[in-house]
Amino acid sequence: MMKIKTLFQLFAFTILGLASCNDPIDKKVGVEENMRIPVSINDSVNLSIDKSPMDMNYYPVDYPMLKMGNPNAKAPLARVIYSRPQKKGRVIFADTTVHQNYIQHYGEPWRLGANECTEIEFFTPAKIGNNTIAAGRYSMYCIPYPDRWKIIFNNNINCWGLDIDQSKDIGFIEIPVNFNKANIEFFTLLFKDTTVGCTLEMSWGDMKVSMPIQFNN
Amino acid sequence: MISLSLNKNNMKFLYSVILLLSIAINPINAQTKLPALDKSPMDMSYYPNRYPVLKIQDKITDPLVARVIYSRPQKNGRAIFGELLEYDKVWRLGANEATEIEFYTDVKINNTKIKKGRYTLYCIPNDQKWIIIVNKETDTWGSYKYESKNDIVRIDIPVVQQTELVEEFVMVFEKSETGANLVIAWDVLRLNLPIVF
Repeated sequence: MMKIKTLFQLFAFTILGLASCNDPIDKKVGVEENMRIPVSINDSVNLSIDKSPMDMNYYPVDYPMLKMGNPNAKAPLARVIYSRPQKKGRVIFADTTVHQNYIQHYGEPWRLGANECTEIEFFTPAKIGNNTIAAGRYSMYCIPYPDRWKIIFNNNINCWGLDIDQSKDIGFIEIPVNFNKANIEFFTLLFKDTTVGCTLEMSWGDMKVSMPIQFNN
Repeated sequence: MISLSLNKNNMKFLYSVILLLSIAINPINAQTKLPALDKSPMDMSYYPNRYPVLKIQDKITDPLVARVIYSRPQKNGRAIFGELLEYDKVWRLGANEATEIEFYTDVKINNTKIKKGRYTLYCIPNDQKWIIIVNKETDTWGSYKYESKNDIVRIDIPVVQQTELVEEFVMVFEKSETGANLVIAWDVLRLNLPIVF
């Protein structure tokens, strides 16, 4: 019995693996295969660690650590929650003539992560490009182009990231892509201090995009 | 000539030094030092279950009630309860950052009203029952600065033994007659935290 169960689990994992290796951006089609959300505590396959694990970053950098050292620290300014897909030998962005071994087509919305929509929360009003953004929680997605990423803020939160409701966009910024010699396997978001606030650095493969943020505080 | 005088341990040391030096002087490595995957990766669960997916499929029937954000330590063959997690000591109910629970509506736990908002969750494990704690100090790391004066409510929850071993600490909501339970499971234990709404 155990053996059959193990085989079944292996099979299920393989299917899930294949599903997530294929283009995970398919609209609604294949959504079920790509979800690894447990619906019950008895759902042993989906209870294991996500292929694209979630992560969370605060600004100021390492705020929870800071707060541990100083309980009277001022409130945080921003927080981002996202999941980290892996490159796995694929081309990250490709033009629409490419249909294999790529992750995302240029010019199409990408959830800037994996699984649920990437969520950014500002605990105080923020200025990004020409946008003044009120304190609150937003989803954040990206339309990649070969030379720049369009980063878009949206009012629709608590969503799975495959079906972005562009009617709820509240603002965007276009940022040039810097190419370097790195080959970052896991999509990574990191806040970095600047003289006027911070940047949210987005790195994957040989690309780096730095989104400037200022806080009105 | 020199290598002849080096024994196996010295060679290991030499290799380590060379490796470290090569990492230290490699400009690409230095430039792209980004965080690796967490050993205890973060995860989140909503109630209603799979709310984000239901939302994009236009299948929502019940309003959003709760979300928990936590990190998932793994058993890795270790003895967990009473060993790794000492009895009667506060545990962050996860790993890394303090576990966060957010209520999108007012709820009740242990007959105490909890206003909608973000809170942290801790526990004090013991053999037969755990104390689950809802605390108002958010955005912090671990339970190192946990202070009981910031507690909103505490509740005793009996421990249930389960037959199947859960390798990765997990939390999932399940519907109950009075609202939902936050089911907490790791190793051979399971607990149900009742949330009333």
